[in-house]
Amino acid sequence: MRVQSAFIAVVLFFLAVLAFFCVFAPNFATASNFEDLMAGFSFIAILAIGESFPILLRGIDLSVGATLALAGMVAFDLTLMFDVPGYVAIPITLAVATLCGAVNGALIVKLRLQPFIATLSTLAAYRGLVYAISGRQLVPELSTTPLSDPWIMGLDTYFDIGSATGLSSLIELPWVPLSFFIMIATLVVFGVMLGRTRFGRDIYTVGGNAEAARLAGINVGRTIIIAYAICGFCAGLGALLMIARLSTTTESLGMGMEMSAIAAAVIGGVSLSGGIGGLAGPVIGTFLLGMVLIGLTLLGISQFVQQILTGVILLIAVGHDRFLAVRRQKRLAANLAEEA
Amino acid sequence: MTQKDESKLLADRRTILKSMALGSAALTGAATGLMAGIDPVTGVVGFSAARADERVKMAFLQIQPHTVSAGWSKGIEEVLSTQQNVDYTQLDGQNKVEVQVSLMDTLINNDTKVIFLQPSDSVALAPSIKKAKRKGIIVITLNIDATEAHAAHVEMNHYYGAMEIAKVMGDKLGGKGDVAILNAPPGIIIRDQRTNGFVDGLKKYHPEIRVVADQVADWSRKKAQDVLSTILAANPNLAGVYGVNDSMALGAVDVAKEKGLLGKMVIFGNDGEKDALASIEAGELTGTQYTDVFQQGRFAAAAATVLTSGLVTAKAFEQQGKLLMPFVIATKDTVGQIQPSQRW
Repeated sequence: MRVQSAFIAVVLFFLAVLAFFCVFAPNFATASNFEDLMAGFSFIAILAIGESFPILLRGIDLSVGATLALAGMVAFDLTLMFDVPGYVAIPITLAVATLCGAVNGALIVKLRLQPFIATLSTLAAYRGLVYAISGRQLVPELSTTPLSDPWIMGLDTYFDIGSATGLSSLIELPWVPLSFFIMIATLVVFGVMLGRTRFGRDIYTVGGNAEAARLAGINVGRTIIIAYAICGFCAGLGALLMIARLSTTTESLGMGMEMSAIAAAVIGGVSLSGGIGGLAGPVIGTFLLGMVLIGLTLLGISQFVQQILTGVILLIAVGHDRFLAVRRQKRLAANLAEEA
Repeated sequence: MTQKDESKLLADRRTILKSMALGSAALTGAATGLMAGIDPVTGVVGFSAARADERVKMAFLQIQPHTVSAGWSKGIEEVLSTQQNVDYTQLDGQNKVEVQVSLMDTLINNDTKVIFLQPSDSVALAPSIKKAKRKGIIVITLNIDATEAHAAHVEMNHYYGAMEIAKVMGDKLGGKGDVAILNAPPGIIIRDQRTNGFVDGLKKYHPEIRVVADQVADWSRKKAQDVLSTILAANPNLAGVYGVNDSMALGAVDVAKEKGLLGKMVIFGNDGEKDALASIEAGELTGTQYTDVFQQGRFAAAAATVLTSGLVTAKAFEQQGKLLMPFVIATKDTVGQIQPSQRW
């Protein structure tokens, strides 16, 4: 796949911001800070990877935060209320999240709803369901009981790569959280799926022009449903990593996180007009937003500036995306004119 | 002085000792160098001198900007600004637990000595508090306790305050009737403390009053309006409402106004913010538990200052300290004693 200019732009911007904070923000260029960044944002990066699929189809999934909360609550209820062991609870959780995504896709395909409307409705519905099944409300003493299942809590593990490879005698390296490796694995698996398989090509074709894809014999409906299911699956994966980190879940878990995921995907060069973008960009976009939060905090800059800056970065990314889209259209028009 | 510096110093001294003739002066010097890191009681000169001009970082991490946390921060700042060597910052958790956890990590990494924390969840922040404790960082929670023990907890008197509310509210109701609770979302210990205090208070002082509804209204005035309207439909004879914070109680006042029940329903809040006190003076809200949050912030800052200037680290605590704030049950009769400068 051709490397997109939007991706190169985000990589360069990422490196520039990284360099800036390393030089100017106290305690930014430290092993423990990079450890914090990896631990704090890997699960959001997984969400951003998932969110890229609907956006590649010129759609959107607003329900990822609610799906994440629902998955988290399912895992919480299973392990704490019903004493289901983690090796059973984890696959069930992922299945529930995947189903949530598939339902989004089915609503869009079968009822021909706008993705925005469909996932806005399921956002409310899934969030409501979280409250309805909340083990923290049904069994009050569970609200202050931490998760203890070794399989789920084991997801919050750190690896001392530095000592294992002997590099720590030369330089202090961060301990790498398991969530980071899971994020990389997710990136590789779905990256290969997107770049090397027929399903991946179908996604780009459908996102570029759904009607043309249908005429070319692609099963558009199935492609859309699978894409939203992948998005749901990623939300489930993110939920498991997050509840392991927090040692519990909350009813409001992941509220507003759809915005972080969408922002990261768009900043990472996934075009809102569909059909363009990869998965590495959204990951970099996530860590870019994470660096901004932590870097500005270390610089002691006012708590509100970070949010303003996130908005500005997003605006630049969307503007850049729009600029590229307009340029593509002009080129296409010019080519057509030439042919005519 | 860090350990590395000290060992380097010692190593230097050893070379000196090797290369030069042994002298008693050199020995004494080496002994002093050794002592500096060891003796915690006398606080050897070299050690404390290094600390004296060191800036001490303290930060307040709130759930999200709110009148209560703004009041605490003002009180904290008042005390810390006079200490000359404290750098104080206030951080916004953006009402997202993952943001709060990330910011905790950042504060820990940034050599912060004291973290004032208003946890958005009592369990979810426990791993972060544990991590801070390992680094010797003093964590002082405000209002919402955490399940992981830490240096200190300064709270509005949730349990006994709510008990007192039940007593005064029951008196106003004449000892009988149905009441509803507009509650906070679960997972926050303060919810249980206030609810239990209220229910226990009713049992103790007014056993004939029944709690007919206890529903979550998310701390929010708007949500409380919807929730109470639903409760009223099912319980038209509702005589009293207890909102576990003022916003929810004011939401109840809105509903009472709309349905013409003002004056017939006894409505109590909790916290004592400016709007609630004004509403009491206007004869709308019946009462609230008032706490001086500026003072609460000052107390937390005072504890932090004493601990850090005494070089007490989080590892030195045997168990969590706890401070309950004095309070006033503000009603039309008592609200006047709360001075304008104490209103937040």
